[in-house]
Amino acid sequence: MSLYSVEGILILDSKGERIYGKYYSPPHSHTGSEYAVAKSLATSNKVQFEFEKQLFKKTHKKNAEIMLYENHLVLYKEYTDVTLYLIGDGNENELVLQEAFDAYRNSLELVLNNGVDKKNIQENYDLMLLAIDELIDNGIILETDPASIASRVTKAPEENVTLDLDKGLLGAWGFAKSKFQERLQQGL
Amino acid sequence: MSTKTYKKFENAGSGDLPDKMTVYQDCMNTFNESPVNPKRCRILISRLLRLLSNGVAFPENEATALFFSISKLFQHQNDALRQVVYLAIKELSEMSEDVLMATSSIMKDVQNGSDLVKPNAIRALTYVLDESTAFSAERLLKSAVVSKHPAISSAALCTSYNLLPISEVTIKRFANEAQEGISDLKQFPNIPYDEHSLLVGEFYPNSSYMAQYHAIGLIYQLKKNDKMAILKLASQLADSNTLKNQLAKVQVVKLINDLINRDPQLFNEFQEVLFSWLTNKFEAVQIEVAKVISSFALRNQRLVAPDSFAYVIATLQGLLAVPRVSTRFAVLRILNKIAMVAPEKIASCNPELETLINDPNRNISTYAITILLKTGNASNIASLISRISRFFHDVSDDFKIIIIDAVRTLSLSFPQEWKSIVKFLMDVLKNSEGGLKFKSTVVEAIVDIVSFIPESKELILENLCDFIEDCEFNEILVRILHLLGKEGPYTSKPSLYVRHIYNRVVLENSIIRSAAVVALAKFALTKNDPTLKESIVSLLVRIANDQDDEVRDRATIALRLIKSADDDNTTVATELIEPKYFYDLPSLESKLSSYLTTNNDSFKTPFDSSNIRRFTEDEVKAIELKRKQEQSLSTSPESPLESGTKKSKSNNNTDNNAFPGSSVGEDEQELLNTKYNEELLAIDQFKDYGKLINSSKSVSLTETEAEFIVNGVKHIFQDNIVLQFNIANTLPNIALTNVSVSCTQEDPETSQLEELFSIAIDRLLPTEEGACYVAFQKTDELVVEGFLNSLVFTTVDINPDTNEPYEGEEGFQDEYEIDSLYINAGDYVTGSFIGNFDKAFEELPAEEIAVFNIQENLSLQEVIDKIITNSNCLPLNNTQFAPSDSNSHVLKLFGKSVLSGSKVALLIKMIHSSKGIALKVQGKGENATLCSDLVNGLM
Repeated sequence: MSLYSVEGILILDSKGERIYGKYYSPPHSHTGSEYAVAKSLATSNKVQFEFEKQLFKKTHKKNAEIMLYENHLVLYKEYTDVTLYLIGDGNENELVLQEAFDAYRNSLELVLNNGVDKKNIQENYDLMLLAIDELIDNGIILETDPASIASRVTKAPEENVTLDLDKGLLGAWGFAKSKFQERLQQGL
Repeated sequence: MSTKTYKKFENAGSGDLPDKMTVYQDCMNTFNESPVNPKRCRILISRLLRLLSNGVAFPENEATALFFSISKLFQHQNDALRQVVYLAIKELSEMSEDVLMATSSIMKDVQNGSDLVKPNAIRALTYVLDESTAFSAERLLKSAVVSKHPAISSAALCTSYNLLPISEVTIKRFANEAQEGISDLKQFPNIPYDEHSLLVGEFYPNSSYMAQYHAIGLIYQLKKNDKMAILKLASQLADSNTLKNQLAKVQVVKLINDLINRDPQLFNEFQEVLFSWLTNKFEAVQIEVAKVISSFALRNQRLVAPDSFAYVIATLQGLLAVPRVSTRFAVLRILNKIAMVAPEKIASCNPELETLINDPNRNISTYAITILLKTGNASNIASLISRISRFFHDVSDDFKIIIIDAVRTLSLSFPQEWKSIVKFLMDVLKNSEGGLKFKSTVVEAIVDIVSFIPESKELILENLCDFIEDCEFNEILVRILHLLGKEGPYTSKPSLYVRHIYNRVVLENSIIRSAAVVALAKFALTKNDPTLKESIVSLLVRIANDQDDEVRDRATIALRLIKSADDDNTTVATELIEPKYFYDLPSLESKLSSYLTTNNDSFKTPFDSSNIRRFTEDEVKAIELKRKQEQSLSTSPESPLESGTKKSKSNNNTDNNAFPGSSVGEDEQELLNTKYNEELLAIDQFKDYGKLINSSKSVSLTETEAEFIVNGVKHIFQDNIVLQFNIANTLPNIALTNVSVSCTQEDPETSQLEELFSIAIDRLLPTEEGACYVAFQKTDELVVEGFLNSLVFTTVDINPDTNEPYEGEEGFQDEYEIDSLYINAGDYVTGSFIGNFDKAFEELPAEEIAVFNIQENLSLQEVIDKIITNSNCLPLNNTQFAPSDSNSHVLKLFGKSVLSGSKVALLIKMIHSSKGIALKVQGKGENATLCSDLVNGLM
């Protein structure tokens, strides 16, 4: 009866390397020690990477969409050079997770309007993060309508570099110089 | 760092991860800049989050510094920046020492933020509040819960849900508002024009009414201990039409499931609504309902009418044809669970399942096959096998292994069908491509069949001989040679095998040659055929000149053994080649390691192996068969593509508990026996009793909620019986001292037992457990006896601080009645394996027949479980499961006496009628007393 039905969201590239990964564990309940062991997937990087490696082997070019893996329900979809995964509790209703997965897939397709691929995700990492954040909250499925999710994702703010032309060419030069110096300093 | 590499990180599109230190420095500089550059901040934050998501962690002080600088960005009013700031706050809050500095800014956003960032702010509260501050968010959360904006309301409900473990009291205060969230249908307001400029595109939200789902989840958590409140909630939601969200509907089905699991009688009340939902427009709801009804029906067969169950199956059957993969997958998982307990119920789905064998999705076709194999019955196995062989060669190894495992289970369930199965396995072994793991799975399956189905032996061995002519894997060859050596001598024409084995010696490498030598030696030693022996000896003499020393050594040893067996009729050789018993390996291991660590006299005292439990061959087989029968229950192909990895017990999810077979936990029982053995031997008084022959399962003698929980275990020695009482003290602040159990025979006049002494527990502190013992002297006969028991003890109040009694406290004596403990014939029996039950049954001399009538309202399965527990025998031919489609059943049990080893077989016919269950028990055995005691004491 728990609302915590999603255990993780993953995006792996065509070699099985992680592009994005987030494992959820119910907040404020990490007191019991047995619980910590059971949830080691959420806490240990090593366990996670091993899990992903094995999972990738099981799913790459297998075109199965849904499977049970180590008692997790895994839904996935392979694109040309990335694979989207949603990992859920093994006892959760398969179609509830499918709803969440469809929302995940479709909302990404909406916000990354040039298609879901590795380059696009890396360039628009913030949009992807925001979409997933609107989809799952700590393992609770927050929203399943892709348009509603996309309608809450903001794009990066515009750079408001307004040159005040009244100050003349010298002012513009000074501005450019200070910007240039700043960049150089950062580079060093 | 050079400008060039810096540029590389600047370019977000590059696949490399940005450098941790660069990102840290950039963040610290840029976030503290004034005025804030929102675009650059957002890029840096997303770069930081990318690092974090790839498992890069910052030390606590750096994380705190980052958290602090990021919370400064709240001063900037750009919502596009704010959204990513919230993401960063959430990620960093777990690493940062202090999160308080962000709390007030977040609270401000919850109150006054735009509709766009309000949900983000509310959801960030989960991370910054703790036990001491959670109450301060009450008013904010309450007003957000009732908000008309669905995203705000959902965010508040989820945050409340997340905060439950630390502030249930606070959240209870707005339970009513949350409840309104279930019925309130919230629509998204139009997005104001000025916000459009911030968003990625022009998307118009559709109201999915997710808040209903969140509200039901939260209300359930708040009221889960109050059955009546949950019942009321479920009835309301079941009747009304307010639920628009499919997840919320699924949640209501789960709610009902929870209720009927607590009180099965409630099923009647919800039956109608559940069945009406089987045709719901959402597949998720249909699946959930089917799952709930089927698992309930398997547990409470009496409460669900067969027609209703058939209706569920029909619904599932319909869903097998839908295009959505996950629906078919979900249906197959449900069917698979049903197939494990009641395969005949889903036979109607067989046509659909057969088409699914060719499904492009591997997981689905695997499930379909394993289910088909489970529903297989004697009449269709042959056709099923031929279907499988048609596509078998096209699939991957992983997949083949699963099928082979299923076939192997099938062969154990239907021993009479071995011919077609063996033919299939042989064909697969010889003709299909495949790696070592796959081939050895096949060989293991064949080995199983040889050992459990003796009739198949000759055919299989001959085929294996063919196979080893052309086998590329050493491991498998060695395994087969071992099998030939073990089983070959007992066949009609051992010389055939000798020839095949010798061929290996001529043609193969040294590993295989050594294995072949051992196999040959076995033929010579176990078969009393002088000509055969002579020819083997001449072969061995030739092998003794082999170029490999291991082969030479083995051949020489074998020759010596054969010679010694000829000369003085010693049994050394036969014992070595054909051991009468096997050690219990785990206990042997622990004994050996303790022998090594407690070595005081540089190993002058030899290792004493007499205390280690030994099993004879049929005992080992009985244990193995039991284990395999259990495996067929627990290893559903839950993870079809990883059958190789052994699954831990904890993985057996709760649904598997649906069938409490009596054989559950046999492995644990073995371990427990070993433990008892060690515990008893550690007590001086029991040292003279010799070897512990048998220990019963522990019997509960009190209610599990009683003040003292007592379990009894019966230990049988050659001339003694020891009763062990495990006592747990559940009383707080009271210690029990001098705890013992007084046992009185039910009929002291005629008793054949003489009480010797009892060992008391000195002191039992609260929550502690201890064991006390009562020992009896027994006659040689099989003693059947009941004991009236009461617990005798002195209670002492103790000081909770020191866990010591108060000074001067003397306590007072008390007595506590516990249930009687019976020693019955089953305690002298242990399960044993026999390949051909019917033949063995015919041959046993003594016979005893008894008829029982059971009036209690029990199902056939419950009676079967009880009989197996009482008799301690091993159920054979898969008869331990009651058929769910018929009212009669025949149970076959086989066991043997732990004292004398005499065999006993039980054939129990049972019929279920409206008056109860009638049993006719026919027992046969070598020992008439054991047989009659066992038969008469069965119920």
